[in-house]
Amino acid sequence: MGVKYWHQVFNPYSDVSSALISSVFIAVLTVIVCLLVSVPAGYALSKRSMPFRAFWMLLFLIPQAFPNLTVYINIARIFYDFGLNGTLLGVVLVHSVHGLMFSVWISVAAFSSTDPMLERASRNLGAGPIYTFFHIVLPQAMPGIIASCIFVFLESLDEFTGTFFVGAPDITTLPLLLYTASMEGNYQIASITALILLVPSIGFMIIINKFMKPEMLSKLGK
Amino acid sequence: MTHLLIENLHASYGDKVILNNINLAVAQGEMIALLGPSGCGKTTLLNALCGFMPIQSGCISIGDRKISTLAAEKRNITMVFQSYALWPHMTVSQNIGYGLKVQKVERAEIETRVNELLSIVNLEGLQDEKVTALSGGQRQRVALARALAIRPDVLVLDEPLSNLDAKVRLNVRHEIKALQKKLGFTSLIVTHDQEEALVMADRIAVLNQGQIEQLGTPEEIYHQPKTAFVADFMGANNKLTFSSLASLQQQISLSSLTQSKMQPSFSNKSTPYQVFFRSEDVGLTTLSQDHPKLHNETDAIRILGDVQQSAFLGGSYQISVRCGKHTIQADHHENLLEGTPVTLCVPAGALHIF
Repeated sequence: MGVKYWHQVFNPYSDVSSALISSVFIAVLTVIVCLLVSVPAGYALSKRSMPFRAFWMLLFLIPQAFPNLTVYINIARIFYDFGLNGTLLGVVLVHSVHGLMFSVWISVAAFSSTDPMLERASRNLGAGPIYTFFHIVLPQAMPGIIASCIFVFLESLDEFTGTFFVGAPDITTLPLLLYTASMEGNYQIASITALILLVPSIGFMIIINKFMKPEMLSKLGK
Repeated sequence: MTHLLIENLHASYGDKVILNNINLAVAQGEMIALLGPSGCGKTTLLNALCGFMPIQSGCISIGDRKISTLAAEKRNITMVFQSYALWPHMTVSQNIGYGLKVQKVERAEIETRVNELLSIVNLEGLQDEKVTALSGGQRQRVALARALAIRPDVLVLDEPLSNLDAKVRLNVRHEIKALQKKLGFTSLIVTHDQEEALVMADRIAVLNQGQIEQLGTPEEIYHQPKTAFVADFMGANNKLTFSSLASLQQQISLSSLTQSKMQPSFSNKSTPYQVFFRSEDVGLTTLSQDHPKLHNETDAIRILGDVQQSAFLGGSYQISVRCGKHTIQADHHENLLEGTPVTLCVPAGALHIF
């Protein structure tokens, strides 16, 4: 009784430890993939002059517009052709599809809320567009981008359906472990896993609260 | 010696023409004010100069270097932005030294130059402050120092004083002018405030609807406006309109007008005659019209009226006088009661007729 199950969970050779490690690893990789897309996309889409702007914005929303299950089953079917099922890369990609909605939309809002005059001032003083982007624009958008990373990280950590269809049984993340544990009647293990999943969510929510500026939210979808 | 040359410049947003055939030659070390109401194209002209907006046709050159097709970062024209556009994530010295850092100047040299600029704009000791901690006037100086740091060929100032308090504005106005005299940089300043233009500029270009209405020294612009728009914009707050030469002559003794006041097409013009003069040039007296003291040959207008309203301006009173169908504003040293009969005299030299 008591802490017995906690010992079992935190045993270095337990399923929970390895699931925790792969969960975090997948989440970090998902954040990186999302950043690689959302930073350039967010900057480009924050420009009013971008052609087909509304179309690109909608494109990132579309995966959320259909029932999860149908989307993920079809992704799993497509990934099967490429041999991505049961691989880490496959799971990271499926998480990214979901994460990109957050990261792109929040990045667009973050870049839109930066003052274009700051960019002009930099060009005016002899800095090229790329130098300006990294030294002036990106630092201004950083709080929003950090917030988007946290969202993507948390979403990836909690993701179940996509991981189940693409990753199982080779990849086991915490939500999958939670599922199997409760299916097998190991409610204590399931409860502890659920508690572990709660920790980063609460921690990051406090950080997001610090980073998200109200004026950034007002730029969402603009 | 011409330093900055703008020739036949045209620019538009879509179908809307913003700049229509702008020609301007700025000498080395000269300060030119671009003066005009909102929407006259003055800020667009600065943006076209700095490469922030494309031009339709025309040419901009500095010395013998054509810059109109260059990217913004290659022009070496720096701007003091209306909002200052300081980078909030950098300190004062990082802001000022940015242009030098971009040019890969050595760190020690940047520091020397930044300190030199800090003392020029009187901001010593603030180099490590975040710019967000500064007051409006201090931010303005940081913006100025930042723009001067890379020794630009031309410095442009976009309404640099509009975000400052009235009192600070008067000081900064003189500081910028003194600095310009001392360092001898060539500059263009955009403003909608005629007083600011008169005080700061060597020459003023009055812009209206994308065209330069008149270019001249502050004295020329003030005393010899070439068009009705310039007269009106430069504070000639009295405007009398006459439909024909006959009705004009009823009111104004043209014989007292010098020949220079007459435009070439003066006697056979189809549009109404417009007469402009300033309230400060109107002589107001409570004496009757034919009083011997008022016998002055240079007066072009002598008219009777009733006081309609009186407003205290601090130094004087501005009196609205109803004279028949016209209302004339006159400056006067004392307050007058409504309905007081007065005589107004305007010397011929103060009139601008179009």
